[in-house]
Amino acid sequence: MEIAPPLISHAAAPALIEVDGLTKLYGDFPAVTDLSFAVRPGEVIGLVGPNGAGKTTTLRCLAGIIPATRGSVRICGRDLAVQPIEAKRRLAFFSDEPRLFDYLTVDQHLNFTARIYGVAHYRETGRALLEELEMADKTDKLPGELSRGMKQKLAIACGLLHSPEVIFFDEPLTGLDPIGIRRMKDSILKRGRAGAAILISSHLLHLLEEVCSHVLILKNGRKIIDGSLGEVRQKFSEQSGDTSLEEVFFRATGESKGAP
Amino acid sequence: MIAGALFYYQRHWWWNRLLTRIRRLRQPKYLFGAIVGGLYFYWYIFRALGRGGRGGRIPPEHQDMAQAIAALVLLVMVLLAWVLPHSRAALSFTEAEVAFLFPAPIGRRTLIHFKLLKSQAVIFFSAVFMTFIGRSWGGGHFVIRALGWWVVFATLNLHSLGCSFARTMLMDRGLSNWLRRVLVLGVVGVMAAGIIFWLHYTVPPPPMAWATMDYGWLGRYANQILHSGPLPYLLFPFRLVVAPCFAVNAGQFLIALGPALAVMGLLYWWVIRSNVAFEEASVELSRKTAERMAAIRSGNWQAARKSNKAGRSPFQLRPTGLPAVALFWKNLTSAGSLVRARVLVFLVWIVIFAGFLLQSQIRQAGGLGAALALLALGLAGLSLFWGPQMLRNDLRQDLPAADVLKMFPLPGWQVVLGEVLAPAAILAAVQWLLLLAALILFPDRLDNYSTTPGQRAGFALAAAIVLPCVDLIAMLIPNGAVLFFPAWFQLGKDGPRGFETTGQQLILMFGQLLVLALSLAPAAAAFTVVFLLTSALLPAALSVLLGGAVAAVFLLIEAGIGIRLLGGVFERFDLSGEVLHQG
Repeated sequence: MEIAPPLISHAAAPALIEVDGLTKLYGDFPAVTDLSFAVRPGEVIGLVGPNGAGKTTTLRCLAGIIPATRGSVRICGRDLAVQPIEAKRRLAFFSDEPRLFDYLTVDQHLNFTARIYGVAHYRETGRALLEELEMADKTDKLPGELSRGMKQKLAIACGLLHSPEVIFFDEPLTGLDPIGIRRMKDSILKRGRAGAAILISSHLLHLLEEVCSHVLILKNGRKIIDGSLGEVRQKFSEQSGDTSLEEVFFRATGESKGAP
Repeated sequence: MIAGALFYYQRHWWWNRLLTRIRRLRQPKYLFGAIVGGLYFYWYIFRALGRGGRGGRIPPEHQDMAQAIAALVLLVMVLLAWVLPHSRAALSFTEAEVAFLFPAPIGRRTLIHFKLLKSQAVIFFSAVFMTFIGRSWGGGHFVIRALGWWVVFATLNLHSLGCSFARTMLMDRGLSNWLRRVLVLGVVGVMAAGIIFWLHYTVPPPPMAWATMDYGWLGRYANQILHSGPLPYLLFPFRLVVAPCFAVNAGQFLIALGPALAVMGLLYWWVIRSNVAFEEASVELSRKTAERMAAIRSGNWQAARKSNKAGRSPFQLRPTGLPAVALFWKNLTSAGSLVRARVLVFLVWIVIFAGFLLQSQIRQAGGLGAALALLALGLAGLSLFWGPQMLRNDLRQDLPAADVLKMFPLPGWQVVLGEVLAPAAILAAVQWLLLLAALILFPDRLDNYSTTPGQRAGFALAAAIVLPCVDLIAMLIPNGAVLFFPAWFQLGKDGPRGFETTGQQLILMFGQLLVLALSLAPAAAAFTVVFLLTSALLPAALSVLLGGAVAAVFLLIEAGIGIRLLGGVFERFDLSGEVLHQG
């Protein structure tokens, strides 16, 4: 299989996402345990794991939505627990379900987001984003008048308005049509090439193979392995060196591939 | 067989729902709510059962009149069902019912029967509720009244269904909503003209000097209209429907029940015979209902009743500056298109114009001006109580989107400030309008007290300065409750309803009043001290104004401390501990 994520690696550059010993407990239940990894500029890392592995919890901790029980998260060198505002100013999080305000139009969403993040020239940036996402003619629409895919695009436009250096995606392709999927992949690759550190949680392994330079596999809240796609493949390849991410996933997590 | 499956579903739906409600009483928030709610309902409603269940009696000479008025109300409701709605026939099903029943091999008639069966629960509770609410209106034992109300609601339900089918049929045949409305209103107009024509020639008009009106004569006049001429014929079927409600004993009830059931039977035949496609509109309705319910259960009443029209921005939001203003702007936008500065200016002019117009008539109207001024002041005072309950476009609205707020690069105090500013500003604007009305209408002399225009202006200005600060604190209290006790506000997918919720709301309401009273105490003390110290040296109006200004400073300091405190709580607010979202 030809896998060639055309991303620029900044191996020498300092990591934009540094996670050290991240642990998150829900009561006594450990959703994530002692997770450590780093993402450098231009790296797109795929977060993979079976249901309940702790992917969404990890992303929510990294985005500052929920506090970590233990461990530290640094975004662009800012500790999320110590300098949350400085850290959040540099990140964007896109949940699987677009979270929009029912009563603000597309344009008002951009205006609101601009004020929150202090984006002085939001009109130009916003217009460019809307054009890139092919929704420039929807500026007066309320979220209720938009399709699922359009809502997703609006959430993305708002999230990218302040040009974040760190981007988290949780199941970014949910509800998108084939054209939307293609555009989303291009958009992720474009941000990666521009030097953003991107973390994508998805069950769609073929997507991750296409856009990710690195992969991190979680199971029961613990890291099984992380590294570049090539390294991970090599570790889990048996005889053949041409192992797909799907094969890697099943071998790493010890799940059965057989049909039910 | 299918009917059995539908019965099975409905029976278990109710049973499991009841079990869930009982099980959750293990949680203190529901248990306390249930106790308080139960006491409330016992006190106001069920105590009637202990009194033998008999309602108050309408005097026999007024019974017939009451029945005729009830029939007239029913006639109006029926006419409205033909005039107001504009959508196609849609039976309300849940999304799960649509998913399971619509593709199933179930006939349209069975679905209608299922819908009718399902609506019986709502009709039953409505009938019981109205029986207790209307216990002073007269009638027999509460069982008779409850059955009577059931007949009325079930008949209305059948009519509403049949009417929606008929409207759809007319739409399918090219009769637009507006044409239908014109036709129905035309028929109503012809009937009204006939009644007026008959009145003009047969019944002498009532005396028009309202101030010296003989109310006994008015009653006799209404009685003549309702019992002679064309109106009794028009009201006849409606009187049949309401008659069981007015029965005072079982014999009367049974006699009245027969004709009422006959009317119901006719409507049932009409509904069943209608061959109208309702599935598509029902699917859409179920989706919208699910969205609305989700919004209501998450406390987002504004979203629940919002229209699909995009609102204009309340003011131009610059992209840079204090970020909290963005939240203020967002919440003002959500409050609707009427919350605009230009609307406020318009209302100010209306109050000034109407106030001075009324004032010029005060001499003729006696104490009307004073009464209206006192009413306005009373409403301004009461607004401190109902305002925070009604205006919820703050953290209570945004709690389901707390993860979005947590993502913003803002300190907690800015989030809290931005969230509470909009409802506080709206409440302050309403209070200012009421104060303005009171200022214009308040008389120079009330009982033995007289005030000068300067004094009244001073008092009004002091109140206008103090009230917005009080509003800010009044809004901070429920928002603080959301952050400190989110579980009491978190209304999940199968969120609480029923008397436990009423109890919870009562507890929160009394808690809010108590905290507000305690919060106002330092400012009230400061006002009193300043007033007492300066009243000997300054005119009363200036003393009040000075006291008000000092009290406002105290309140602002308190609000500032509250915002900082709640900001810290918001920053530490752990969504994962509140099960607001699935991780």
